[in-house]
Amino acid sequence: MDGNERILSYAEAIREAMALAMEADPAVILMGEDIGVYGGAFQVTLDLIDRFGPDRVMDTPISELGGAGVAVGAAMTGLKPIFEFQFSDFAALAMEQIVNQAAKMRYMLGGEASVPLVFRMPAGSGTGAAAQHSQSLEAWFGHVPGLKVVQPSTPADAKGLLLAALADPDPVLIFEHKLLYKMKAPVPEGHYLTPIGKAHIARAGTDLTIVAGAIMLHRALEAAEKLAADGMSVEVIDLRSIRPIDRDTILTSVRKTGKLLVVYEGVKSYGVGAEISAMVAESDAFDYLDAPILRLGGAEAPIPYNPDLERLAVPQANTIEAAARRLMAREV
Amino acid sequence: MPTEVILPKVDMDMTHGTLAVWHVAPGAMVEKGAALFDIETDKAAMEVEAPASGFLHHVTAQSGDKIAVGSVVAWIYAAGEAVGDAPTTLLPETTEPAPDAAYALAEAQTPLQPAPLPNPRVKPRATPAARRAADAGGLDLAAIPGTGPLGRVQRDDVANQLNAPMPSPTHWTPEPGPLNVAHRAGTGVPFLMIHGFAADSLSWVPLERALGTNRPVIRIDLPGHGKSPKRRIDSFAALSRMLAEAFDGLNTDTVHLIGHSLGAALALSLADIRPRQIKALTLIAPAGLGPEIDAAALNGIARATRVESLAPWLRRLTATPQGISDDYARAAMTTRADPVQRACQAEMVQALFPDGTQSFDLRAALERLACPMQIIWGRQDHILPMRHALVAQTDCAIHLLDRAGHIPQIECPDRVARIIGHLSPM
Repeated sequence: MDGNERILSYAEAIREAMALAMEADPAVILMGEDIGVYGGAFQVTLDLIDRFGPDRVMDTPISELGGAGVAVGAAMTGLKPIFEFQFSDFAALAMEQIVNQAAKMRYMLGGEASVPLVFRMPAGSGTGAAAQHSQSLEAWFGHVPGLKVVQPSTPADAKGLLLAALADPDPVLIFEHKLLYKMKAPVPEGHYLTPIGKAHIARAGTDLTIVAGAIMLHRALEAAEKLAADGMSVEVIDLRSIRPIDRDTILTSVRKTGKLLVVYEGVKSYGVGAEISAMVAESDAFDYLDAPILRLGGAEAPIPYNPDLERLAVPQANTIEAAARRLMAREV
Repeated sequence: MPTEVILPKVDMDMTHGTLAVWHVAPGAMVEKGAALFDIETDKAAMEVEAPASGFLHHVTAQSGDKIAVGSVVAWIYAAGEAVGDAPTTLLPETTEPAPDAAYALAEAQTPLQPAPLPNPRVKPRATPAARRAADAGGLDLAAIPGTGPLGRVQRDDVANQLNAPMPSPTHWTPEPGPLNVAHRAGTGVPFLMIHGFAADSLSWVPLERALGTNRPVIRIDLPGHGKSPKRRIDSFAALSRMLAEAFDGLNTDTVHLIGHSLGAALALSLADIRPRQIKALTLIAPAGLGPEIDAAALNGIARATRVESLAPWLRRLTATPQGISDDYARAAMTTRADPVQRACQAEMVQALFPDGTQSFDLRAALERLACPMQIIWGRQDHILPMRHALVAQTDCAIHLLDRAGHIPQIECPDRVARIIGHLSPM
C-alpha cells in the first residue's frame, strides 16, 4: 500500500466513489428505495443524504419500474443518476426500462440521445436471503447490446469501476456481490478509473487458467494457493467486465496454459461460462487447448434457504480446487 | 475324420468372399501351411493356407464363386484315410445364399466379435494442443500413445515423443562401403556437387541441365542419402571427414565445388582442408553460418511416413507453398520409402541440429578461403535465413534471388546456372 491508499471496505469504497462524483459534478444524483435516512438495504449510501441533501439522494417509491423509468428520463435530460436496486433480483421488475429503453435509446435515436445511467445491483448468494434475493443475473444483461455490465471483486475496483461507469456515456450495470460489502482492502485516494472491459490477472501461472469474478475470484485464489502447494501453477483472471468482455486477456492466458476452468455463481447453463467457453472454442486459442474447457457454475435450481444447501448450490473454494485437480490429472 | 476347409473372415465387415483361384488340384496332396487358394474381398486379396496336411477332396467352390464367410469349400483327408461321400455339415451350401441369410450366418458364426481394429482413416483422439504440437514437429498423431482419457493424445505425449531418443543402434546397422559417386564425363575443370539434407545427387539434374556444359560433373550422395551406405553420423566433423575421404578417392586435380545447404557447409569445410584442389566455390543457401534453422521442417521431412505428412514440410522449401506440386510430393515420398534411411536421417538431424540449432560454425573457414567464391540465396528461404550470408568476412559475391526459397537450384535452375557461369565460364 503506498501513501495514497487506505484500508476501506467494499461498501465504503463505493460510498467514497459516489461522494467524490457528487462533489465534482452536480449532475450526479442518487436514486433508490430507502437510500436516504435508512442508508440503503446494505448501508452503502449511509450518511450521504446528510452531505448532499434529499434533492440529490432521492428515496423512490416501492416501484422499481417507476424508479428506473424516472432514472432513464433524468439521464436523457442531463443528469447522471446512480440508481440502486435493493437486490439485483428486483431488476426483473424494471426490465422494460433497462432493456427496452436505456439500452436502446442511443441506437433508436441515431446517436442523438445518450443515457449516462448507473445501476447498482447487489447480487449473489451466501446471505441466507433465499431464492428471490440471492441470484446472480449478470448474464441476462450481458446479452443486451447497449448495456455495459461490470462485476468488481475488490474495494479498489468497486470504486474505480463506479467512477468509470459514471464517466461512460451509456448505461452501466454494476453487480456488487453482497458478501463482498464488508471485505476490506487498500483503496487509492482521489479520483481514478478502472477501465471497463479490461480483465485483471490476479495471479499469474502457467498450467491452468481460471476465469472468475466477484466472490468467485477470492475462492479461485484460495484454491490456486492450495494447488500451488502441490506444484500446480494456476493463473487466475479477475473477469471484472462481462460486457464488453476482455477477449485478449483470456485468449492470451489460454494460449499459455492450454487449460481453462470458468467459475461463476450464476446458474451454469446459458451463463457467463458458456460465453467464455464458446469464445475460446471459436478462436485460434482452441489450437492450444490440451483438455476440454470446464465450467463450474451455480446449480440448476433456485438458491435454497437452508444454509448447507445454499453453500452447495454455488462453487466454493474446495469444489474449484477439485475441478482444477481433475483437469490437471487429465480426468476430463 | 477329414479336416474341413472354410472360407475365412479376413476383414471385419466381410460377409462374402470370392474364391479367386485354387493352388491345389482336387485329389492332390497339400502340406499344412502351404497356399491352398486365394480369396478376394471388396478391399483385399489374400492367400489362404491349408489347415492340415493331406489330400484335397470334395472341392465344392470353383474359381470366381462368391461364397459366404464360414462356408466349407473342401475337405483335406489324411494319407490313408478312406474318401467316401462328402461329410455332412451344418454349414451352408457353398452356392451364394440369399443376402439376408448370409448376414444372419456371418453373425451367428462369430458370436464373439473382437473389438474392431482402429480404422486408420478415423482421426486419432487428441487434444487441439497435441494436434498442433504434432503438426509442428512433423509427427503422425496415430503413432503416438496417448495418456489422456480413453487414450487421448495430450500435448505432453507429443513432447515426449519429440524428445524421445532416436532409434537405438539395434534398430539399424551401419553399412560398409564408400559413398556413392556419380560421374559424367566431359572436358575441363569438373563441377563437384554436394546435395543438402534429405536430398540426393539426383536433385542436381535440373541445374546440370541448365548449366548446359560439357565439363565433367561429379555428384556425391551423402551417407544415409541416395545410393550411399547408411552410416551413423555423430557430428559434423565426422560427416566432413567422410566426405573428404570420398573426395580424396576421386583422384581429381581441381574442381569447381558446388554445395547446397548442409552440402554447402560440407563444401566449405572441404575447401578449407583441400584448398589447393578447389578452383572455385559456389555455396547455395549454405548451412553453418549462424545458429538458426527451421528444425521442425528437417524433422518433419526426415520422419514423414506418407505424402500427407511430407508435403506440408516440402512446401517450406520453396518461396511459396505452390512451388511444390502434389505430384512432386508424391515422387519425393517414393524416394523416402525406406524406413531405415528415414531413421538414419532423423538421427543425423539430432546430431547436426540438436535442439533446433546449427551446432557447427564455419564462419572461420569462410574467412580463410582464398579461391573465388560466391553465395547464392533465395530471398524467401524459410529454412535458413539469408542474412547469414552477411557474416562472410571475405571478398565474395552474394546473390540474393527474388522469388526463390531454400532450393533455388530446383526452383529456378536457369538463374542459378547463369550466376555459376559468371564465376566459372563454361
